[in-house]
Amino acid sequence: MDLFVHYLSMPYLVEGVGYTLLITVLGLLGGFAMGLVLAWMQLSRFRALAIVARGYSIIFRGTPLILQMVFCYNALPLIGIKLTAISAASLALALNEAPFIAEILRANVIGVDRGQVSAGQALGMTPAAIMRRIVAPQAIRSMVPALGNETISALKNSSLASVVAVQELTLRSTQLASATFDFFSIFFASGLMYLVLTGAVAVIQIVIELLLDLDRPPPKEQFARFMRALLPGRGESALATAGAAPQTPADVAEEILEEIETDPLPPASPKVVNLHVRGIDREARARRLAGNAVAVEVTGLRKSYGPQAVLAGVDLTVRAGEIVAMLGPSGSGKSTLLRCINRLEGWDEGAIRVGGRFLGTDEAGRALSPRDVAQMRAGVGVGMVFQQFNLFGHLTARENIAGPLRWVQGLSRLNADRRAQELLERVGLAHRADALPRHLSGGQQQRVAIARAVAPGPSVLLLDEPTSALDPELVNEVLEVIQRLAVEEGLAMVISTHQLRFAGEVADRVVFLSGGRIVEEGPADQVLNTPRHPLTARFLSKMSAE
Amino acid sequence: MALKFDTPAGVRSTGVARRLRGALFAALALAVAAGALPRKAEAAMPDGCAALQAKYPDLKGKTLTNAVNPHTPGYETIDPQDPSKYIGFDIDLGEAIGECLGFSLTYKPVTFAALLTTLQAGQADIVISDIYATKERAKAADFITYLKVFDGVLVAKGNPKKIDGINLSLCGTVAAENTGYVEVPLIQALEEECKKAGKPAPEILLFDNNANCIQAILAGRADTYINDVNTVDGAVKAYPDKLAKATAVTLPYSVGIAVPRGKTEFRDAVMAALVEIQKSGMQAEMMKKWNLPTDQIEAPKLVLAD
Repeated sequence: MDLFVHYLSMPYLVEGVGYTLLITVLGLLGGFAMGLVLAWMQLSRFRALAIVARGYSIIFRGTPLILQMVFCYNALPLIGIKLTAISAASLALALNEAPFIAEILRANVIGVDRGQVSAGQALGMTPAAIMRRIVAPQAIRSMVPALGNETISALKNSSLASVVAVQELTLRSTQLASATFDFFSIFFASGLMYLVLTGAVAVIQIVIELLLDLDRPPPKEQFARFMRALLPGRGESALATAGAAPQTPADVAEEILEEIETDPLPPASPKVVNLHVRGIDREARARRLAGNAVAVEVTGLRKSYGPQAVLAGVDLTVRAGEIVAMLGPSGSGKSTLLRCINRLEGWDEGAIRVGGRFLGTDEAGRALSPRDVAQMRAGVGVGMVFQQFNLFGHLTARENIAGPLRWVQGLSRLNADRRAQELLERVGLAHRADALPRHLSGGQQQRVAIARAVAPGPSVLLLDEPTSALDPELVNEVLEVIQRLAVEEGLAMVISTHQLRFAGEVADRVVFLSGGRIVEEGPADQVLNTPRHPLTARFLSKMSAE
Repeated sequence: MALKFDTPAGVRSTGVARRLRGALFAALALAVAAGALPRKAEAAMPDGCAALQAKYPDLKGKTLTNAVNPHTPGYETIDPQDPSKYIGFDIDLGEAIGECLGFSLTYKPVTFAALLTTLQAGQADIVISDIYATKERAKAADFITYLKVFDGVLVAKGNPKKIDGINLSLCGTVAAENTGYVEVPLIQALEEECKKAGKPAPEILLFDNNANCIQAILAGRADTYINDVNTVDGAVKAYPDKLAKATAVTLPYSVGIAVPRGKTEFRDAVMAALVEIQKSGMQAEMMKKWNLPTDQIEAPKLVLAD
């Protein structure tokens, strides 16, 4: 025991810990830098880069670290690169860690919901902005545990640097054991030192996870949670001795109450009230719309996935202020058409003009880079609402609206927040402005998503089955919001929906798609009440039966 | 006690020490001879060294790197009192050669198998680490010999497997060895003979330092560890209740200093310095200090690749 304590406090071994840490830190930093590059290459749209990165991973993930150490130390001098032992060991560790870290980065970037990326694109965010504002903040949160693991593994792997004469803890321990024959005291001491180091990494990981926790409670509660995380048994027993039943934390209780609470829409504006009272003069409106400029013009659009044609020659014109309801069975190409209109997807043949401009190509018809497409999208003003809401998961309701206004439209924080607050009031969710999407009901999320799409003042709003993912009792609140927008904003809307009554009330025109083709279109009441095409009739009767 | 150590400067300068010189000197010599006072021998430089420094002026003032496998008590280990230093006979010999030629040494601890690769990669300038000069190894480095080789056969106390050398007594036993040791091929060669005699072949466990080999016997994983007799004696001294030396054998090798191939001037200088050190009796003194039998001394000769 005395010997154990003696070796535990021996400066020689403690200095060895210093070298162990040095190599680990250098190896991880280098590995992280190279891992970033490798992950970027693998995610790049250029195939050659991905192949090179994959090749690197195969080699350096597939050979033992000990060989890489020896290679960096003993083989590099043969080509004139003579590194010190510490540099060689750090280099080898970095080369070895890079592919592992790259995979962690890549997995967590891919793991961020693709819908949020689509939403970012639809808002006109450039790929770089989406990476920085949407993907990275969420990926970083989810990769902390894996990076913690990797750090501990690198710390232990650094012991292999002993083969290239780095004076780290393992090498010093074995040398000391050889000189003194105190084999066990020495290795227990150095084992404990490694445990202290890895324990410190674990504590750092817990702290980082707590700091990045989006549901971060106030500091006092945070400390209590930290202690609970460190000592899993203690917190519970303390509660038990206090004789108190486990209580729902104040913040959670508040959320539950707010969830139960109804959040009615504000009183409708006079325009909307008038509409409800007097009904709509459809013919007058149709005459007025016919004189408006063309907002969206789709001509001869064709697209197929392999042999499967999704769009088989679609022509569609939407005028400014016009509301078009798109009906059709699933798989008829409704979503694809909408995603083509704002260039979230490409197509094979045909052309789409929004506000008179070709999205995705320049005047000469050459394809634009994703960055330029994003800027064009924002410039033309096409908003999109998705079936799955696609709110940015790490941002509050207010930030979901205000963020893109700052990043894309360049509004000041003050103005962006003011606009967000105004829109949240209009959709009846001002009191939930600071809630995260995951604490909102589906209907509430979709209302925020609509507010977000409308915030930059687009000229065209595309809504892709906005109520299909909602529980039936939540459908109406969303439809009401859309209807009010239609009346108040006067922007052109293309809505794919299964809500026939809603289509009849709101839409100027109904378009019926089947098999990638528009089989019938016309004024809403005409198509809904007296369909001409048998496919439309069959679909409508089936829908009303449900 | 006819040791020719100079008393250290610190002692010489005090009046008290001068008066007690005889007594102190004897005590010091005793302590040093017992290996209990591991400190560098501060012997006077042999006479021929001045001439060598004049002949090889390039080495003067230089700092060279000595690659060692510091797991061999008596030859090279770290100093348990001050682990930043290395101690042992090989260390003293290297320091003496350096002093004679005017260069100083730093140390690079590597595994035994990496000694010569480190030298080849240019990460070290010289290897003085109880390494046997064989023709095979001479393909990687030039050797200057300085000791004859006696191996000891380390076994568990009582020698339960009755091992008595590198012979048929090893059939069916497990030997612990270090990767790269010359004993490895010698034991492997027994495989054929054992088969002929209708016995199972010996098994070899490969480690990369003495401590692990000794632990293998203590843990019952291995039956024997055949290595330098002085290392074996050291192990028996450390674990007198558990280990024993079964016997000693002579191997047809010599221990040598390895220098990079083709650097003939450096090799000549080292060899000349070694000759001077042997001639002056310094090597014998160092061997006594580290409890090595002086009859192991061998006049320097070169072992080069064919």
